[in-house]
Amino acid sequence: MRKKVQYTSTGEVVRKKPLSKRIWNHRGYYLMFLPVFLFVLIMYYWPMLGIRFAFFTYKPVGPKTFVGLKHFQSMFIDPLKAPAFWQAFKNTLELSIIKLLITTFASVIVSVFLNEMKNLFAKKTLQTIIYLPHFMSWTVVASIFTLILSKSETGMVNGLLVQWGIIEQSEKIFFLADKGWWRPIYYMVNIWKETGWGTIIFLATLSGINPELYEAADIDGASRLQKIGYVTMPALANTIITVLILNLAKVMNLFESVFVMYNIAVYDVSDVISTYIYRQTFNTFTPDYGFSTAVGLFKSLVGCVLVLVCNYLSKKTRGRGIV
Amino acid sequence: MAKEKASRTQKTTMFDIVNYIVFVVIALIVLIPIWKVLVDSLNQVGVYQFRIYPRNFTLDGYKTIIETSKLYTPFLVSVVSTVLGTLLGLTLATLGGYVLNQTEMPGRNAMAFFLLFTMIFSGGMIPEYLVMKQLGFINHWYILVFKHGINVYNLVLMKNFFEGVPSSLFEAAKIDGCSPMGIFFKIVLPLSKAALASIGLMFAVTVWNDYSTVQIYITDTKQVNFQYKLKTMIMDGDTPTTSYNVSQTTLYNAGIVAAILPFMILYPFLQKYFVKGVNIGAVKE
Amino acid sequence: MKKKVLSVLLASAMVLSLAACGGKTDESSASTETSVATSTEASTETSTETAEAAPYELTELKVVVDGTLTATEDNGQAAFVEQWNAAVSEKLGHSITMNITQLDHSSYSDAVGRLIIGGDLPDVMIMSASMFKQYETTGLLWNMADAYDNAEFQSRLTLTSINENLKTADGALYGFAPTYGNGCVTYVKKAWLDAVGLSADDIKTFDDYYNMLLAFHNGDPDGDGVDGNTYGVIAAGYANLGEAPYVNYLPEFWQDGYPAILQDANGVWYDGFTADACKAALKRLRQGYVDGVIDPDTLTASTKIAREKWFSNEQAGSEGAFTYWAGTWYQTLTDNLIKNEVDSELVVLSPIAEIKNTLGGYINREAPVWVIVDDGDGDNSREQAVFDAFIETMLDGDKVQMLWTYGAEGVHWSTAADEFVTNPGTDNEKSYSYEEGTFHLLPSPNDANSIWKKNAMDPALVISPLTNGFKASTELSDSGNVFFTNNCVDAPAGASCETLTNYSADITDAKSAVISAVVIDGVDVDEAIATYYTGVVGTVIEQALTELNSAE
Repeated sequence: MRKKVQYTSTGEVVRKKPLSKRIWNHRGYYLMFLPVFLFVLIMYYWPMLGIRFAFFTYKPVGPKTFVGLKHFQSMFIDPLKAPAFWQAFKNTLELSIIKLLITTFASVIVSVFLNEMKNLFAKKTLQTIIYLPHFMSWTVVASIFTLILSKSETGMVNGLLVQWGIIEQSEKIFFLADKGWWRPIYYMVNIWKETGWGTIIFLATLSGINPELYEAADIDGASRLQKIGYVTMPALANTIITVLILNLAKVMNLFESVFVMYNIAVYDVSDVISTYIYRQTFNTFTPDYGFSTAVGLFKSLVGCVLVLVCNYLSKKTRGRGIV
Repeated sequence: MAKEKASRTQKTTMFDIVNYIVFVVIALIVLIPIWKVLVDSLNQVGVYQFRIYPRNFTLDGYKTIIETSKLYTPFLVSVVSTVLGTLLGLTLATLGGYVLNQTEMPGRNAMAFFLLFTMIFSGGMIPEYLVMKQLGFINHWYILVFKHGINVYNLVLMKNFFEGVPSSLFEAAKIDGCSPMGIFFKIVLPLSKAALASIGLMFAVTVWNDYSTVQIYITDTKQVNFQYKLKTMIMDGDTPTTSYNVSQTTLYNAGIVAAILPFMILYPFLQKYFVKGVNIGAVKE
Repeated sequence: MKKKVLSVLLASAMVLSLAACGGKTDESSASTETSVATSTEASTETSTETAEAAPYELTELKVVVDGTLTATEDNGQAAFVEQWNAAVSEKLGHSITMNITQLDHSSYSDAVGRLIIGGDLPDVMIMSASMFKQYETTGLLWNMADAYDNAEFQSRLTLTSINENLKTADGALYGFAPTYGNGCVTYVKKAWLDAVGLSADDIKTFDDYYNMLLAFHNGDPDGDGVDGNTYGVIAAGYANLGEAPYVNYLPEFWQDGYPAILQDANGVWYDGFTADACKAALKRLRQGYVDGVIDPDTLTASTKIAREKWFSNEQAGSEGAFTYWAGTWYQTLTDNLIKNEVDSELVVLSPIAEIKNTLGGYINREAPVWVIVDDGDGDNSREQAVFDAFIETMLDGDKVQMLWTYGAEGVHWSTAADEFVTNPGTDNEKSYSYEEGTFHLLPSPNDANSIWKKNAMDPALVISPLTNGFKASTELSDSGNVFFTNNCVDAPAGASCETLTNYSADITDAKSAVISAVVIDGVDVDEAIATYYTGVVGTVIEQALTELNSAE
């Protein structure tokens, strides 16, 4: 709708053909889209009919009954549940978005500097090393970091801090139980685990940059850092924005990484919606699937708003959205 | 590209030295926790604390995985489902990404919306479970293939890569009488090796690392994949159940290493396609 | 404009196709609804009229079980099932096959929920006491009271109270427990006691216990030459608020403090968490945290991490005491210490005076139960057949009970002449030799170095003993069981009312907040409890107490 006039690659204005003609011309493409269409329809849209359960009581046993907005009421208004829910909502947004921004930032930086590495063997080896953590499940990662960061005698970090005289034996920091430390630690572990993996998409983009651009910059006498700033980064911009916006849709789903790292001492700063819901249903052996569907719907709506806003901003600043 | 780069700047500058040092430090930080897993997997006895080297060296953990059918069967399930899932995923992502790139196609925006909508809204676990049941996918490892067969995130990334293919090539091909399929196979795919390699890898890793699908849809122990098996070994709760010939700790750490290994082997082969990806740029206007 | 029309068309096509598919889902879920609804009515009827009808020939039995069935797929389940089929077919006079679905222990209730929603109802499943409470009155389960009362094993029961207690007020029985519950006792490393010059017999009061922990922490019980790098005790959390009996991992600190709603001597319900006993317990935990006798990792540890740290090959940073399950776990903990080449001798502490004088002993949790699913057709013959094939045979005192107790003959146990060696070539090498006709356990199918212990039922906990005289000779687990039976009391009855069900998670969260505030942050106990009680939680608890007390 936005673009009224279409151009060919050579810049001539295309005269709009009648719709039927255009559809006919694209028949090959529709055919190619068909398998995708069917797959998405069956695997995604069919289950979506279940969204109606958000307005039902739906337990493994007992009848399904329509309850209207009851689930939303207990989420948003119930005096006992609502404060924890909104706290979890706020934590989800903060943890998730900051995590997304800093891991993406770290991935970009690492990719850019890895790209500058001239020794191909060193480059490949380093690349292989830094993506390894991605293959370790969160359970494993959490158990290792809990060990390293422990306040007990087995905690390596505290041990080193004492040994180097930075803190006294009696001042050992309980990293994972300290409300001030938990979030920085959480971000660091995420950086550790996901940065390397995140570079894959950026490195693939970087390999697509025309070398002539660098040569031209060389002729202009640009320094290495200048070349990064004027050639590399602009080339990455599109990918960065796409990755960021696409990941915004998943922002509300934050669960496992928090679940394995949080504990009762830091609920205030760490509890997210999914962990909150997990605890809500864990104690009931006949969980109400209607309630979890309602929460899921709420999460989707928030994700939807986030994506639309960012897509709008992307259109405003770059002249195009993600698709 | 290696040669071109080398010719671009010959001398090693201060920048390079700092760069190397920083990366060596990063690599070390990354390796410390992995080292713990590796050492524990080679240790005869279970050690909770951090050790630099194994106390009693043993390969029994790995031997047990290779020799116990209850452990290598899940591994094979993982390999097969990952290969098939990646193939299906790549096929659909490239098709979809390519079609979405046809800006003049009527209905394109609706199609894009149709896909993006699924990234945000979903029916939730139980409705999905009921649908999978209707489709007969419950309790079969191939649910891993279908569950990951379509991934809109990767599809959009693929589309972004295709945008880098100069449209003049398409125009030329169209004038030569190439069908959309023809253009796709003869021009787009050969030019997108870096994208295929990296997105293929992303698909492969998603399928490989997935244990929650197994947890939800598979109760038959013969159909589970390796990550799930590994998780049950790690999470093994309060029941003194399965024991193997080696210490539990040794075994599951060996399992963690085994889960990383295929990709450590595979990655160097894929890396060369990232280098070849430069072709896209080479013909870029 | 035309584009818009097109997308509308596309969208409507989509909706149409969706609607077409959706019809099917509705039907299937509707059928689940009706089956459950009818079963409610059916179960309230008495079973006597239909019980006399022609016996139902059951040829297939679907069983859903969690990790309590030790004969897992990896550990000889096939042989177990095969021998069960043979033995039960012979008993019933027609062929029957058992189909076992063993679900992941950690997400069992979740997986069961999905099976039920998906319409894959088993014939029999196992449920923990808390899970059973939620399902008991839903109409999904068959009332087996008559079947139980007329069961052949009645005459052999040595402990009838467990299943009698499971009966509802109007005499219905929806679950059957073949064993009693078991609980946790405190194990101490003997070598550590020796190193600090203490004897387990001298640990009689909390002060004795606490001084022992202090000695473990401040001294050098592991003998690495460094004082103060060891701890007194570790547990998975300061309290396990998610699962009754909540305080069984640190009983000496909690003593008579019980963080749940309790009934006093007059039958009046009150909140145990705000009682003085709990406040005192929190103070003790705080002191233990400050003095460093409780490993700080207790906050973050799972049971697995706690165990692993306790029997780690490297004893620096480990702990001397650990409270864990009695019986089989006595053996398992010892085996793990042996495997990790740590001094493996353990001492079991008798309950300290403070526990003995208030509770009476270590807490015995409520037993898990087997339930039979009501198919809802109003006819009891099928369910009765399931009872006869599964539960009746389970306690036959002979062949089938052996299968549930010790596993499959020739795979898990044997009476043939046998000779084998465990841990060959190590310091822990042990050889076994048996004559023809002696009952003995074999090495685990999966681990030639450790002897098989038991299958799903613990011979020491079962309510109707084996009549064939077979008895395994693992002294440790036996002595552990005997010790526990002599030193245990039943867990306090749990409260159950609608408000509690709706808010259980929120109340748990509020309690967690108090515990961490007091123990970790050092907030004053009275202050912390006051904030807990004056908040919204207080109102909810008041409401729950009113509901409970008015119901009596």
